[in-house]
Amino acid sequence: MQGYSKEKSEIMDSKAIINNILPFSNVDGPGNRFAIFFQGCNANCIYCHNPETINYCKNCLKCTEVCSHGALSVTNNKIVYNDSLCIFCDACLHKCPYQSSPKTKKITVDQLYEQIKFYKPFIRGITVSGGEPTLHKDFIVELFRKVKKLGLTCFVDTNGFFHKKEMDTLIEVTDKFMIDIKTIDEVQMLCGIEEHNHLENLNYLLKMDKIYEVRTVIINDFMDAHKTVAKVSSMLKAYPHVKYKLIRVHAHGLKESQKEILSIKTPSDEKMQQMKDLAKKKGVHTVECIL
Amino acid sequence: MRSTVNDIMSTAVSRGLTYQQKLFNLANIAERLIDPQENLDYSDKEIEYIQKDMICDLNEGYAIYRPRYIVPDYFIYLKYGCAFLDIKPPEDLNELLDGLLILYHHVPSITSFPVFIGRLDLLIDPFINDEKNDYIKIKRFLNHIDKTITDSFCHADIGPKATKAGEMILKAIIELENPTPNMTLRYDPDITGEDFAEMAVEACLKVSKPSFSNEKLYRQDIGEHEIVSCYNALPLAGGAYTLLRLRLGTIARSADSLEKYLNVVLPQVSEAMLSIMDKRIKFIVEESNFFESSFLITEGFLKKENFTAMFGIIGLAEAVNYMLELENLNEKFGASVRGDEIGHQIMEKIQAIVNNHKGLYVERTQGKYLLHAQVGANLSKEDQFNTPAHRIPVGDEPALPLHLKQAGQFHKYFPSGTGDLFAFDQTYLNKPEAVLDIIKGAMEIGYRYITTYLENTDLIRVTGYLIKKSEAKKVSNGEVVLRDTAIMGEGTNENARVFQRKVRNNGQ
Repeated sequence: MQGYSKEKSEIMDSKAIINNILPFSNVDGPGNRFAIFFQGCNANCIYCHNPETINYCKNCLKCTEVCSHGALSVTNNKIVYNDSLCIFCDACLHKCPYQSSPKTKKITVDQLYEQIKFYKPFIRGITVSGGEPTLHKDFIVELFRKVKKLGLTCFVDTNGFFHKKEMDTLIEVTDKFMIDIKTIDEVQMLCGIEEHNHLENLNYLLKMDKIYEVRTVIINDFMDAHKTVAKVSSMLKAYPHVKYKLIRVHAHGLKESQKEILSIKTPSDEKMQQMKDLAKKKGVHTVECIL
Repeated sequence: MRSTVNDIMSTAVSRGLTYQQKLFNLANIAERLIDPQENLDYSDKEIEYIQKDMICDLNEGYAIYRPRYIVPDYFIYLKYGCAFLDIKPPEDLNELLDGLLILYHHVPSITSFPVFIGRLDLLIDPFINDEKNDYIKIKRFLNHIDKTITDSFCHADIGPKATKAGEMILKAIIELENPTPNMTLRYDPDITGEDFAEMAVEACLKVSKPSFSNEKLYRQDIGEHEIVSCYNALPLAGGAYTLLRLRLGTIARSADSLEKYLNVVLPQVSEAMLSIMDKRIKFIVEESNFFESSFLITEGFLKKENFTAMFGIIGLAEAVNYMLELENLNEKFGASVRGDEIGHQIMEKIQAIVNNHKGLYVERTQGKYLLHAQVGANLSKEDQFNTPAHRIPVGDEPALPLHLKQAGQFHKYFPSGTGDLFAFDQTYLNKPEAVLDIIKGAMEIGYRYITTYLENTDLIRVTGYLIKKSEAKKVSNGEVVLRDTAIMGEGTNENARVFQRKVRNNGQ
C-alpha cells in the first residue's frame, strides 16, 4: 500500500493539508453544511472516488506537464497552484502516479474558522471528510471546539478504521459520525488496509449515540455483500434514528484502471433491491438505496 | 410612453395575440393616446426624461381609472358576503371557492387581472371537513384560476402558520404545474413549522413556487401587508396607486463622474419622477372617481387610506459598472468592494430624496412613497442595459454564498419589495432542508424575499413572475399563447438571459 505517512501528519498538525472545501454541501450530513476534505487516507479502496486525496504530493512535477491552462507552475522545484487559472479538467489528478493532488492547500484552524464564520448564517454545521479525517484528530478537535461556539454542529465522515482509544477527545467534541462499513471481512482485498476495528468502532459510537448514518458501497466479488449488510443491519436494529445507505458502486469519473475492474463488478438492480430488503427485514428503520 | 393610432391597427390585426390580449392591449393603447401634458400636467422636463428612457412609466397610461395594484381584504367576503355582487357569506367550501372566483372577476389592476387573490390557506382552512373531496375542489379551483386569470402577476399568499389547507395547496400546485397563481409563503422561522417550510421548498424546487418572504421584516416595515404581483409588499385592504421606475444605468451614462451622477443628474431625474407620481395619484384620487364608484371601497374590501405608491429602480448594476469604468477599475458589480460602495452611495442618495418628499394621499406609509426594486420589463431597447432591480447581471454571478451576501446588503432599501432568485441543481430535491437553511440564512442577513427553482424545470421564474419555457418558445416562434406573461417573459429573456442563470451546487 502506498500508505499514509505518519510523520507528515505530525509535521502538519498546526496546519492541515486540505484537498478541498465546499462552502455549501447538501450531501455531507443534515441540512446545508460546510464540508472540509482533508488530504491523506489510511485506506486505498478499490472503488475510491477521490484517490487524489490518499497521499501527499511528492513534488515529482509530472502533473505540471499536462496542465494546459497554466494553473500549475514550478518555483524552487515545488509546484505552485493558481486556482484562478484552473479549469478543473482533472488532467493533473489523472497524471499523478502517487494518488495525490497538486492543488492541496495548507491551512490553519483560524483560517478555516474565519471562512466558516463567513458562511455561518447559511449552514447548520460543518463536516470533516477526506481522505480520512481522523488522521488529523488534533487539528479537528481544535477546529470543532471553536466552531461549536458559533452554534454549529460538527460531523466527522470516517472510514471507521481508527483506534478509538486515541480518539476519545475527538469523539467527545463530535456531534455525529457518518461511518463506512465497507465490508466485514477481506478488508485488505477491498480497502488495502489491515485494520479490522471498524465494526467495533461502530458499535462503540452507536452506544454513545454518536452515529448519524452508516454507508456500505455494494460491489460484486470484492465483498460478501449479504454478510456485510446483514451484520450492519443487525447492529442498527436498536437505533431507529440511524440511516443505512446502500450505494451501488459506479465508475463515473474514475481512472481507466479502476473503470476496467468496476465495470464488471457492478451489482444489478435486483441485487441492490435484495440488499435493501435484507436491511429492512433485519429491522433497519431507514434504508436509502443510491443507484 | 405615448401610443399612436397605428398601434391600434397593428394590435387589431396581430397574428400572435389572443382576443383577450388584443382587447386589453387596445384599452391600454387608448389610455396612452391621451397627452399627459394636457391631462396630467406633466412638465417638458418630465416628458424629456420619459422620452430619453431615464424614467419608465411601465405603460401605465394617462387616463388613469384605477390604482395599479389592488389588495382586497377577502375576509370581508367571509364576514359579510358582497351586496354589489349579491353573494352571501359562504357556508361551505363550494360557496367559498365559487364566491372567490366571482370576486376575482371584479378586482381591477394595471393588468386588468387581480394581482392579489387572498391568503388562500387562511380563507380555505375553516371550510375543510372532508380532506379527500376538498382536495379535489381546491385543485380544481387553482386550475380554474390559471386558465381564466391569464396573467401570472396574479398572486396568492400562504402561511406563516402551517395549516391543512396550506398543505393541500402545496400538493395541488405541484400536481398542476401551472404558472398562475404566483405564490409566496410568508415565512417566519419562529412560526412556520419545519415540515411545512420543507414542503414549500420542495414545491418551490419542482414548480418554482411558493417563494419565501420575510414575514418579520415586512411586518416591521409595512405592518398588515400582503405579497402581491411579483413580490411587492403592500398594505392590506389598499395597494399602490402607481409604480414608475428609474433606469439607473441609462441615467448614469449622462454623467461624467460619480459626483455629478449623485449630486446633479440623479436628484434631477428622481425629483421629476416624484412629481410625475404626485400628478398621477392626484388624478386617481381626485378625478378618476375610482374611490367613489367601486364597490370594493363602499363595502370595505379596500380603504382609500390604505393606499401607497411605489418608486422603482432598475439597473443598479449597470450604473455601478459605468462608474467603475469612469474610475478605471477593471471590476464588475457583484464582485467588487468598490462597486458595492458605489451601489450604497446611489441607493442612499435615492432613499434620502424619496423619503424627503411629501407624498400625496399616502398617510398609511407615513406620507412617503416606498422604494421598490423593480424586476424589469421589456419596453425599450434601454431595458437591455438595465438589469432588474439591484441584481447582478446573469453571467456575472459569483459563487452562491458570495452572491447571497452581496445581494442581501441592498434589501434594506426596498420596503415595498425586492428579491433574489437562484437556480439549483437536482440534488437539492433530496435535501429540501439544505435549501431551507440557505433561505433562513438569507433572512438572517436581511433578505426580504428569496426564491428558487430547479435548473431543468419547464416552469421557471423570469424575474418575479412565472412562465413556462415551452410557452416562451412558442412566442418566439410567433405562436399565440394563453398568458400575456409568456410574451413578456420571452422578451425579458432576450434581454437578460434569465433562462441561463447560474446553476448552484456545492455553494458554487
